Amino acid sequence: MNSMEQQFLEAGTLMLAGMVFVFAFLSLLIIFIKTVLAKLAVKFPDPIAPNRNHSNKKKNKVVSGEISPAIIAVISGAVNSYRQQHSQQNFSLQKAKK
Amino acid sequence: MDSLTKLWLSTGLANFELGQVIMMLVGCGLLYLAIARNFEPLLLLPMGFGSILTNIPIAGFSEVGGLLHFIYYAGIDTGIFPLIIFMGVGAMTDFGALIANPKTLLLGASAQFGIFATLFGAIALNAVPGIEFTLKDASAIAIIGGADGPTAIFLASKLAPELLGAIAVAAYSYMALVPIIQPPIMRALTTIDERKIEMAQLRPVTKVEKIIFPLGVLLMTIFFLPAATPLVGMFCLGNLMKESGVVDRLSSTAQNELINITTIFLGLGVGSKLSAEAFLNVETLGILALGAVAFSIGTASGVLMAKVMNKFSKVPINPLIGAAGVSAVPMAARVANKVGLEANPHNFLLMHAMGPNVAGVLGSAVAAGILLALVGG
Repeated sequence: MNSMEQQFLEAGTLMLAGMVFVFAFLSLLIIFIKTVLAKLAVKFPDPIAPNRNHSNKKKNKVVSGEISPAIIAVISGAVNSYRQQHSQQNFSLQKAKK
Repeated sequence: MDSLTKLWLSTGLANFELGQVIMMLVGCGLLYLAIARNFEPLLLLPMGFGSILTNIPIAGFSEVGGLLHFIYYAGIDTGIFPLIIFMGVGAMTDFGALIANPKTLLLGASAQFGIFATLFGAIALNAVPGIEFTLKDASAIAIIGGADGPTAIFLASKLAPELLGAIAVAAYSYMALVPIIQPPIMRALTTIDERKIEMAQLRPVTKVEKIIFPLGVLLMTIFFLPAATPLVGMFCLGNLMKESGVVDRLSSTAQNELINITTIFLGLGVGSKLSAEAFLNVETLGILALGAVAFSIGTASGVLMAKVMNKFSKVPINPLIGAAGVSAVPMAARVANKVGLEANPHNFLLMHAMGPNVAGVLGSAVAAGILLALVGG
């Protein structure tokens, strides 16, 4: 029984030491990220960022070369409404003739 | 007549022992879980098959000179296989979410409470007749709470090789059960309003940061916890290969071919430890029970820590992402995302949960290092 108590004590010490160490280690890592890495991020901004813009521009060019879906939607909407109005006018004309 | 008896004696049927038959059925059970239920099939399939092979009478797969014997001693006893797998995992890990929101490291740290609390449980189980766990055994069992297969196998092979089979089976089974174990605990500990919390978008992380990060982690481990450098070192090597962008071939090998080959051998090697005398005892039941406890406590302490952080933080933190602190990448993060979506269909937590998720990997590697340093010596 005594040895069991001793084992519990050891496990307790291990738990305390372990948790304190894990928290201390990962907190240090937080400090590392917030100081060193944050500074590095400002000093050496990503070279990929302009590339991304570049590809966006390219995409835009490609899109403007073709017809964008938004424009197609607007045109087809306009055509539809024109047709509807037109057919209503025809209808009313026909009614008037009668 | 004499030769007929000899022939009969050389068949499997004449030499089967009950324990071997039961262990073959256990192997079949693992195969069922892998094939029919899709539970961690990459590992449970070779592991289940290894268990069948090792229990074949006369063939002597796991005796000196047998195939599984060599696989075990070459790769698992030496700790090489889990470390190679850890390198592959490093090459697949993106620390972006963690670097963008470093506070989540605290969640990964608090979820490791599951490991250390289970130490207590394992020692307490010594009161049960038939169970006798030393502090080394207890540490190896407790690491199941880290929810990290390679780490668990690495530590068990160093501290309690005789329990390795049961520990690996428990670790991988519970990792497969993460979507079932975690959500009830997460719901019980949070209110619906907390689950609805939407988090601010993460800042973009530069390439330089991602390259320096693994080096920084390694440097800190060298300074403060050299016992963890095998795990952390291999992990950081894999991650640096990925993020540096100059060795895409090596990075791709580490996260594909190499990790696949190693997984086959690791599964077989662990399966070879599933022999009747090592597995069929009360201690295995104790290990399975402790594994579930470890997982649950880890999940709960992650969620509770996230709740506390949400109270004190200016930026809202959804407590659900705390549950991802138990590593089990990326399953735990997906679970957090899913439970979040249930409460609020516009709430996508996946990227936010990846932060504590990879923090959990680091946390459990650090915890393993501590156990190795304090108990293993």
